[in-house]
Amino acid sequence: MADTVTSEQVLADIERLLIEVIGDDLLLDGPLTMETSFDEDLQLESIEFVALSEKLLETYGEQVDFVGWLAEMELDDIIALTVGQLVEFVTAQANIARTGSADA
Amino acid sequence: MPEVEANGLRFHVQHLGSAAGDGGSRPQVVMLHGLVIDNLSSWYYTLANPIALHADVHLYDLRGHGRSEMPTSGYTVDDNVDDLEALLDGWGIDGPVHLFGNSFGGVVSLAFAHRHPERVASLFLIEAHFAVEGWGEHMAGSLALAAFGLDEDAVQGWLAENADRKLSRLAKRSERFLMETSLIDDLQAEQPIGWLSEIGCPTYAMYGSESDILDRARELEAKVPSCELEIVPGCSHSLLTEQSALVRERALAWLDRVG
Repeated sequence: MADTVTSEQVLADIERLLIEVIGDDLLLDGPLTMETSFDEDLQLESIEFVALSEKLLETYGEQVDFVGWLAEMELDDIIALTVGQLVEFVTAQANIARTGSADA
Repeated sequence: MPEVEANGLRFHVQHLGSAAGDGGSRPQVVMLHGLVIDNLSSWYYTLANPIALHADVHLYDLRGHGRSEMPTSGYTVDDNVDDLEALLDGWGIDGPVHLFGNSFGGVVSLAFAHRHPERVASLFLIEAHFAVEGWGEHMAGSLALAAFGLDEDAVQGWLAENADRKLSRLAKRSERFLMETSLIDDLQAEQPIGWLSEIGCPTYAMYGSESDILDRARELEAKVPSCELEIVPGCSHSLLTEQSALVRERALAWLDRVG
């Protein structure tokens, strides 16, 4: 059985992938936290969020069901997303894929 | 980032839903976005994912937009039709697709359906924009943008609200697009289309009641033989983002009927 993924690992991955998408400027205001919002805090362009989603799929595999997750959200929900919400979603999905359980 | 070469350019593309797979029997949907400040994310944030639960959804940034390449010239509707043809060929999609077009993406969808009727199953158009009589006379400076739904006040307001990083990046990219490419010249040269009556596929068109291009709605309804028109009360040209839940509902019902 593969090791489970922790939310700390996913947070670190998201920080690394965001730097790939938008560059080192990301960290000018300090490290990412679970409370950081993509739109208001990071000023992430929507096309960059799409690119981040793509990179997370490449990292964790197609079993991370972004389509199902985003399909349930309205536009305002997606715009208001925080890093923590994304971390929790990816962590749970990655662990379901690895162990059949969402517990990290 | 998924990128493909097509028609001599590099395009940023996204495919949603195909991983679910069920023998290729799902409807194939391609979504085309609007001009300059728009890109595939306006679909990604609204309809693309919900539709991808029921269909294979293919998104791309039109030439010059988003993360696709920005050539210095070649921004006519026909150039964009060539791009879509090359992308479909590259993706190996031969069968008829459902084209979803928002604003400028609407006229590209219409023109593609006119040139390649065998490759289009249906059109789902939101605030579709196209050249009408008198178009050329109004094409100058910022009016060229306003005519494509890029109202100067709206853009300024948007920029004022979106300070810092997004502002500077969007402003820089838009300025480069408008000042260093043939986009405006190409749009000014577009002739009114005289072939709407030849569009044979089922077509659903939505416009906002407060849209500045409501005349296009009436023209589509009058000329496209199988066009169903819906005017959404209280909405502007930004119908897709103002009423994304309603548009999504209509799109799903539409695919149910024609998919």
